[in-house]
Amino acid sequence: MVTINIDGRTVEVPEDTTILKAADQAGVWIPTMCHSEYFEPYGVCRLCSVEVVRGKRSRIVTACNYPIRNGMTIHTNSERVKWLRKVIMEMLISRWPNVKVVKDLAERLGIEKSRFTSLERDESENACILCGMCVNMCNDVVKANVLGFAHTGIERKVVRPFDEKTDQCIVCGSCAHVCPTGHIKMVLEDYRGKKSEFTLGPKTPIYVPTLQAVPRVPVIDAESCIHFQTGGCENCAKVCEPNAINYKMEDEIVEIDVGQVLITTGFDLFDASPMAQYGYGRLDNVYSSLEFESILNSTGPTGGNIVMKNGKEPRAVGIIHCIGSRDTNHHAYCSRVCCMYALKFAHLVRDRTDAAIYQFYIDMRAFGKGYEEFYNRLLDEGVTMIRGKAAEIVEGAWNENGDPSLKIRCEDTLIGKFREIPVDMVVLCNAMEPRKDSDAIRRLFSISKSPDGFFLERHPKLDPTSTATEGVFIAGCSQGPKDIPDTVAQASSAAARILSLISKGEVEIEPVRAMVQDEYCSGCKICNNMCPYGAIEFIEEKKISHVNEALCKGCGTCVAACPSGAMTGNGFTDEQILAELEGLML
Amino acid sequence: MAYRSYLMVCAGTGCVANQSMKIKEKLETEIRKKGLQEEVAVVTTGCNGFCAVGPLMVVQPDGIFYQLLKETDIPYIVEEHFIKGRPVKELMFTPPKEKTPIPKLSDIPFFADQTPIVLRNRGVINPENIDDYIARGGYEAIAKVLTSMTPEQVIQEIKTSGLRGRGGGGFPTGIKWETCRNIPADKHYIICNADEGDPGAFMDRSTVESDPHAVIEGMLIGGYAIGSSEGYVYIRNEYPIALDRLQTAIQHAREYGLLGTNILDKGFDFEIKIARGAGAFVCGESTALMASIEGRPGEPRAKYVHTVEKGLWDKPTCLNNVETWANVPQIILRGAEWFSSIGTGDVSGDPWGGSKGTKVFSLSGKVNNTGLIEVPMGITLRKIIFDIGGGIKDGKKFKAVQTGGPSGGFIPESLLDLPVDYEELTKVGSMMGSGGMVVADENNCMVDMAKYFLSFTQTESCGKCVPCREGTKRMLDILEKITEGEGTEEDLVLLEELSNVVVESSLCALGGSAPNPVLTTLKYFREEYEAHVKDKKCPGHACRKLITYTIDPHVCVDKGHGCHVCAKNCPDGAILGETKQVHTIDVEKCGKCGICYDVCKFDAISVE
Repeated sequence: MVTINIDGRTVEVPEDTTILKAADQAGVWIPTMCHSEYFEPYGVCRLCSVEVVRGKRSRIVTACNYPIRNGMTIHTNSERVKWLRKVIMEMLISRWPNVKVVKDLAERLGIEKSRFTSLERDESENACILCGMCVNMCNDVVKANVLGFAHTGIERKVVRPFDEKTDQCIVCGSCAHVCPTGHIKMVLEDYRGKKSEFTLGPKTPIYVPTLQAVPRVPVIDAESCIHFQTGGCENCAKVCEPNAINYKMEDEIVEIDVGQVLITTGFDLFDASPMAQYGYGRLDNVYSSLEFESILNSTGPTGGNIVMKNGKEPRAVGIIHCIGSRDTNHHAYCSRVCCMYALKFAHLVRDRTDAAIYQFYIDMRAFGKGYEEFYNRLLDEGVTMIRGKAAEIVEGAWNENGDPSLKIRCEDTLIGKFREIPVDMVVLCNAMEPRKDSDAIRRLFSISKSPDGFFLERHPKLDPTSTATEGVFIAGCSQGPKDIPDTVAQASSAAARILSLISKGEVEIEPVRAMVQDEYCSGCKICNNMCPYGAIEFIEEKKISHVNEALCKGCGTCVAACPSGAMTGNGFTDEQILAELEGLML
Repeated sequence: MAYRSYLMVCAGTGCVANQSMKIKEKLETEIRKKGLQEEVAVVTTGCNGFCAVGPLMVVQPDGIFYQLLKETDIPYIVEEHFIKGRPVKELMFTPPKEKTPIPKLSDIPFFADQTPIVLRNRGVINPENIDDYIARGGYEAIAKVLTSMTPEQVIQEIKTSGLRGRGGGGFPTGIKWETCRNIPADKHYIICNADEGDPGAFMDRSTVESDPHAVIEGMLIGGYAIGSSEGYVYIRNEYPIALDRLQTAIQHAREYGLLGTNILDKGFDFEIKIARGAGAFVCGESTALMASIEGRPGEPRAKYVHTVEKGLWDKPTCLNNVETWANVPQIILRGAEWFSSIGTGDVSGDPWGGSKGTKVFSLSGKVNNTGLIEVPMGITLRKIIFDIGGGIKDGKKFKAVQTGGPSGGFIPESLLDLPVDYEELTKVGSMMGSGGMVVADENNCMVDMAKYFLSFTQTESCGKCVPCREGTKRMLDILEKITEGEGTEEDLVLLEELSNVVVESSLCALGGSAPNPVLTTLKYFREEYEAHVKDKKCPGHACRKLITYTIDPHVCVDKGHGCHVCAKNCPDGAILGETKQVHTIDVEKCGKCGICYDVCKFDAISVE
């Protein structure tokens, strides 16, 4: 620590602190125009010039980058300093008379007009004042090295390479962020960032994956994070006090030995964009059910307010059932949950807005506990129910004034008429469908799927949670569309099944199973790939195949396939069968 | 093989531009034609220095100096001098206003009053032949250093000698080396600054062109003293001959084992790389130069942390100018005492206490003998201009001399007895700079001169900091206004104030010194500014908007009989009148080029 004197005030600061920081500590204001905490002092505006006295020598230095030495006396407001600042400021206002930061600083320094006439005068309010903040940000912080200065002297200007658009730019927006005059603007041409799964619009590179994430900690998206693109920035690490940011963390593969597996991989939401008639992804204000759910969420993008893209409240909302379900072109099955969540949506829209609500349904399926009552309550709330699947959504006028909105075309089968209903917002009740990678999971565990694509249970009535593979269980929407109560019930049942085996400590298996007669096995491995349960393994040392008795179901596929007759049923060898036959024939 | 005569043909940039290479070829053919090739050898040398009279050649060992050669002179010279043994008087140097030619180079005042240390080999050796350099004692200094001196002793020797940076700053070289050596780092760099960008100055170029090995040897010694194994020469690409010779010299030194690893078997490694500059004036500033070598834009940075601590790639870096490096081998060989015996002041106590050794200047402008000179520190400006320079051209009156390049100040006649010394020049508002010296005569307008040099620094400003970027342009605008006759007295006050702000608040030395021409002319020639502002007159007759040409009708008819030469030569067709009639100038059309004034043999035309 060294002691210095700034404008008569004594302050103690570490050596090598800049004068600007020391002055800040002493509560002394020094004007700056090119300084930012983000990067190393640039020292070009020269407005922070101060007078430093050491011994008998007095000199003018820039406060932003001059390091403090013991015993310095600094005058930030001497006549000499004031004079320099005044003339520098006069040069700046003669060139950029309407830029706000220049005007404000001039006013604060008490300079009203300039004695200079600048031939390069730029009347724009958003003129570039050549402070270099964007260039430093781009090169020193972001390290994208896109912005730089071209030309010399008075013709200096900020440019991109060859003054052209460049892919070198990672569209981080840091330059626009630091630009003090608004000269640099971000233009939305093509969104290059990653769209989040559960929220509308772009997300920041640091985010909490889902609202209910456990543990609820933020993660960094390596695709959009500046650091992972250029190696620069690291601003989050600089501000994180517990020092919790780790750029080196990588995905880990952890191997755990288990005896039983419960598959609860859930569902995917049907993508409605191929159904061009509904305009999803093409028309504004047509949302999927999951998107609308995030709009309703109080921590969502709109803070739970039901608003359109233009920020206004919708005047009417249409909710269309059975998108992709009960539709032979897509999924024949009923998605089961849509009717009820559509009613919930209607209820919340009614609660939060004054919008008219239209429900377009084929059949209302309110079959759970309290569901029918909820449906009746909705009818009382004045939700218009139209029986008939909406045929098309088009852009249209709200009324004769030409106010733009959407129109839903449908056949109202109860009154037997075609109708066109103007709405501002449409919510599509997309079907639940099997996960895209469910086949890979299936192969991994040797389980089957039903015709709808969901995992197949061992028995639809008697054993709805286990699968044909011993020790592998399924629950929730991976088995078929279901709502939360049903999912909880099925998952609890599966957990109970698993626990019962764990508590017993041993597994009962069927006595009927295959067996290799070692002396006949030629080690051809044909049976190894045949087994649908993955029960046959090859013993390298003995060069013969071996049946894992715990996995074998005794289906006999391998017995039939074995060319050398080595594979046989346990207790059902040819000799045994022949001996039994012989006994019967006697 | 020994020859009877050696013809040292100057191949500096100036002479090459005047076709000296053709003269060399012609000499060779002519000598072969006469069968003298066994007796007379033709050698190309670096810049001889007396550029005013190039293309030139010196016949050794006699030292006969031939000037202003033309290809057609060659057969005659060969015939007369080398066959008949009669030196050709017509091609010898004759001082202005005199009739007897001076045959010997050593007798010509231009050379006689010089003290060559840096330029000791100019015109004497072939710069492309390392053996020539070695024959003149070259690489003896590095041998001495490596065999008998510790790095500390080398630094002490340089400190004792009082050598100061020749690039303009005048920082004591020994102290710079010592500081750099004492900064711990895994690597130290040394740099030779050959980015000489001053208009009308060519000291460094000529040094590299005429004696590149001296620079290499100086850097080797510096590398040994500082503990560096890598050096850069930053040279501008606009110096093709210098660049070429330097590359050749480095190549030869490498072949001779004088660069590379284990030099002279003493375990010292040193390599020199060439970094070529694109010709930005600001890249002569050390931090901008280093940025340029690193591949970044050549812009300076604040030097509150010195480059000897954090320079090239943030490593301790010792940067010296070509001339400084070239001085080093001689100091080592001939001793610090010898070097410090030349020059002014006393440096034994205070390294800033005096200016030692010699300084190379490029003398240009309105003097008779323009060229490159090396003079001891402390010599007066008067001696340089009137003895070495041979006085003002065409017998005109001296007005001012600018020292130190485009950002140097103008020194008036009253200060001509000023000794050339770092401190003295700074005191009067100018500087040593890298050694430019431009002489102005009575026909130069000082406002116009200041404007000219400022327009150079203004366009060469990198534009990084506000005072230099905006300030120099505003100053130039005001000067423009004054030279166009639209200046006011307030403008003069504002100009002076602005100049001082630019000096005080600019980031680097470019802005810090760019206003010098303006400030010194305002100080010493304020009456000229006032004439422009108050009387709307240009005393030097250079500002076209403020002058008018008139024809005295009496002189025109009586003496010249209306010769019509002026009308024929006028590019604007502004002169009216028939032959044998009175001629007049149409003021509207007149472009004020002054051609008529120059062509009129009867002094009928006057300018006001």
